[in-house]
Parts: sequence; structure tokens; C-alpha cells
Amino acid sequence: MTEFPPRVDPHFDIEEYDPEADLMALNMGPQHPSTHGVMRIKLFLDGETIVKAVPYPGYLHRGVEKLCEKLTYVQITPIFDKHDYVAPMTNEQAINLAFEKLLGLEVPLRARVLRTILAELQRIASHLLWLGTFTLDIGGTIGGGASMMMYTFREREMILDLFEALTGCRFHYNTHCPGGNRHDVPEGWETVVKAVLDAIEPRFDEYEALCDNDIFLVRTEGIGVLPPDLALELGQTGPVLRASGVDHDLRRDAPYHAYDLVDVRVAVDDGCDSLARYKVRVAEMRESVRLVRLLLPMLPQGPIVGSKPIKSLIQFKAAAGQVYVGMETPRGELGTYLIGGGDQRGAAPYRCKIRPPSLHAMAALPYLLPGHFLSDVVTVLGSLDPIMGEVDR
Amino acid sequence: MSSRVGLNWIWQSAKAMIVTGKHLFEPRTTEGLRPAESRAPRYRASFALVHNEHGEEACIGCKLCEKICPSDVITVVGGPKELSEATGKKRGTCTDFVLDLQACIICELCVQVCPVDAILMVREQEVPGYSREDLVLTMDKLYANEHDKALYWGSGSALMEMQNPKKEASS
Repeated sequence: MTEFPPRVDPHFDIEEYDPEADLMALNMGPQHPSTHGVMRIKLFLDGETIVKAVPYPGYLHRGVEKLCEKLTYVQITPIFDKHDYVAPMTNEQAINLAFEKLLGLEVPLRARVLRTILAELQRIASHLLWLGTFTLDIGGTIGGGASMMMYTFREREMILDLFEALTGCRFHYNTHCPGGNRHDVPEGWETVVKAVLDAIEPRFDEYEALCDNDIFLVRTEGIGVLPPDLALELGQTGPVLRASGVDHDLRRDAPYHAYDLVDVRVAVDDGCDSLARYKVRVAEMRESVRLVRLLLPMLPQGPIVGSKPIKSLIQFKAAAGQVYVGMETPRGELGTYLIGGGDQRGAAPYRCKIRPPSLHAMAALPYLLPGHFLSDVVTVLGSLDPIMGEVDR
Repeated sequence: MSSRVGLNWIWQSAKAMIVTGKHLFEPRTTEGLRPAESRAPRYRASFALVHNEHGEEACIGCKLCEKICPSDVITVVGGPKELSEATGKKRGTCTDFVLDLQACIICELCVQVCPVDAILMVREQEVPGYSREDLVLTMDKLYANEHDKALYWGSGSALMEMQNPKKEASS
């Protein structure tokens, strides 16, 4: 059993701090290159050591939940692309899983397998973007991190090209609809996916070779230690929870899509620090490559939409009822809580509550930051990988 | 935090330099913006209104696209029903059609619901303009796009065909 440092009190009154100390309040953000969007952290510093940290989200609030009450089931999917703009594909899938449960629609096997492939490709793309920006922020790799970002973005472009060939867009695809997918696989797509995976897989070794140096290790090892009990209390999910040594993954524990057809190996690390989160994400990318390779030959023939294709605004109607569906996005469990029957026609949800994994990752910041240096804020924030569009919605 | 002393850095730097050195012999990592021709066939960027096979303006002013648009960027003004010379049937007309590209989210729903395949997407992006009005696609601009820009593969019926293929003749 490893010893963890004593838990800090995030509500600690700064007035009670040693009056002799060289105390300074510093606002990091709202516009800061390393904050993954528009967010503000108020830091109280004693010299260069953080005494207290208060995150202030809300600068990117766009009212997605309120919009969902106005729009109908058909119109909500393209809106959902925008709230986690690094992994739009999994966001669409999350809301459509909730719709399908509420409306009682069957998804054909071809669409389920295709969705699984897309989700895993999106996980690689999202983690690649995280790896590039994280190493750029902390600058520990050879070349100051900028070369690493160039490499990861090059591989991410390949995956975005795959999505472009399938859906016509590099981002904000709108390729899912309640009951299935809107775009079928174009001819020869599977071959291109295999070629891309073959090109990407050896690159992971290169990333690890670039990150395996003392500067990177010193800047990440032991920084932002999140003990498992605290991680569970704060509702962490995804790589952040698994890097704290808790073996929890919805893909294996509560399979959706076609995850019951494959055996998902969940990457867990006991390190609890920023280095462990880096290791878990790299291991997840390798696992995603393996899953896509397994699933590609399983893609069966058949229809891709279970219901009738979208042809009118009020096509899908549901009586009042409530569902909660959780889905493992690259950042963790994205839960959607829906109450049906909002519109008089029953074509819009009455309430849509989104449980974003990034918001819960943000909640760990007041616990993780005190005691570290100012320069470690970037490391801790980067390793939690919050996307502010998802935090504020 | 452990202080790291020793000669690890020699091996670590050499390993990283090998990775970096390998890229000397590889194609360039960065590349310029690609032209529309090299995009995927399904790439979608902007809009066009088209004429039907009889040479008439295909839009019948049914306002389905206006209703389904999640961002309310389409405005359709329907005209009176007119007798079509080609088919001899009465059909609706459209007197004005405005698509505000500034707020458009390229979701393709208007293309999907169009019953007469009147609105299509084009593969070339609109060029940046000097005023906001440059990005508001009026009816004239939309019909000009039909000839000036490369249309993409999909139309309402093509998307329907892909999502709900007609049953093969049972043999």
C-alpha cells in the first residue's frame, strides 16, 4: 500500500493563512494557451508554491441543454457535435444511444459494429491530440515538445481523413441518427483503415522513445497525485480513474454498441500521478488499434438504419419517460439523462441533462494543485485533459 | 521528487535523436492546404440549388429544409403554383431562398429531407469575404454555384438510397 500525501482542504479560508507569508493571488486564464479552451483558475501563491486553487468554469457556456428542449430528436445530433469538440463522434453516439433507449429503436448489427470502429478511431484521434498538446505544454520531449505535436497531428490527420471519406466532414460529422448511421461505408474504406492503422501503430514506440527522458519524467512523476478513494469520491471516470488504479471501463463492464463481441483489455496504472495518466492513454491507443483490427472483418452486410431514414422534423416521437445512458468517451463516462415528451407532439425531449467527464476532472483541480509549483499547473491540467466546451456545455 | 543524476541523458537523447533523424528521410510532416480535388468524394462545404431534368428550377418551395434546419439559417419564400410546361402538371415554385452560411453547421439535414433533390452541397468552400453579406447565400448565388462549383455526390434521394436500399429483386 503506497502512502499518499494528506488530502488538502479545497475550501480552506485564505485569510487564515500565515500573515507573514508572501501571498499573491494570480488569475490563470481565461485566455491561456494551456487551458484547453476558455477557463480561469484563481491561484493563491506563497512565493511560487500554490496554497489554494479555485477553478471558474462557465466562459464557454452555450446552453446546449436548454437548446435540446427546443429542438426535436432529429435536430439535436448535429448540436451535440459541438460540445466536446475534440471527440465529436462519441458525443453523437452518446446522445443517440439515449434516444434509441427512449424511443425503443433497434440498431442493426452493421451500424453497431461501424459505431464501435468509429468510437475507437475517435479515441485514438482524441488521445493523439492530447499527447501532442500535453508534451507541447510541458516541453519535456526532445525539440521542446513542438516536434512531438507535429508528429501526433500528422497521425491525427490520417484519422480525420478516414472520417472525411466516410461522412464528408473532418469534424462535426452528423453521421448518426436515432436508429443507426446516416452514411454507409464507402467502397474500399476498410483497406484504407487497415493501411492507416499499420502506419500509426509503429509511431507509438516513437512517442514513447521521445517521452522517455529525464525532463519529461521529472515534470510528470509524482505531480498531481490523485488517490483512488478521492478519485471515486469526485466521480472521476475514464483514463483519470484508471490511472488511479481503479479498474473501471464501461466498454467492458456495461457493453453498448458491439463491445460484447470483442474482449476489451482495460489499461490500468497504479501510479496515480500525471505520468500514470500519460501511460494509460498511450496504452489505450494501442488497445484501440487492436480493437479496430478485430472489428473490421466483423462488419456484416445489411442495413445501417433500423428505423426509417430521417425525412421529417417530427419523425421520432416518444411519450414521457426517462432514461440514463452512459458511454465511455475518450475522456470518461459521458452520461445522458433524458426525459421524453417535451413538445406537444412528443418530438422533443422535456429535459436533457449531460454528465460530462471533463467537469468531474476539473473538480479534482483544487485537491491536486496545492503544494505544487506554479509551473506544475500546466502539467496537472493537461494530464486531466478537460475540454472546456464539454465542461460548460 | 528524486534527483536524477547519471548518464541516462546520453542514451535518452540518442534514442530521441534516432527518431528525429529518421524523419529526415520521410516525406514532410507539414503540408499545405489541399485543393478541393484531392478531398474525399463525400467532402461537403457549401450549398447549391439545382435545376431538374426538365430545366426548371427544382425547388418547389415546400419549406421542409427551413423547418428542419437546427440553426434556422434557411429562409424560403414559396410562390404560387404554376403549370409546368415539361410535364403538364401543377407544381409549387420558390420566389426567394436565402441561406445564411455564417451560422450554418453543415449538418446535411436540409439535403436529406429535400423531396425533389433541389438543394445539394458543393465540394468547394466559400472564399472569405470583406463583409458579412458576402457569406449570405442568396438565390442567385446558390443557382450560380450549380455551374461554378463542383457538386458532391449526395442528394436527398441518394442519401435515402444509401440508408434504406431498395430490396434487390427477389430472385
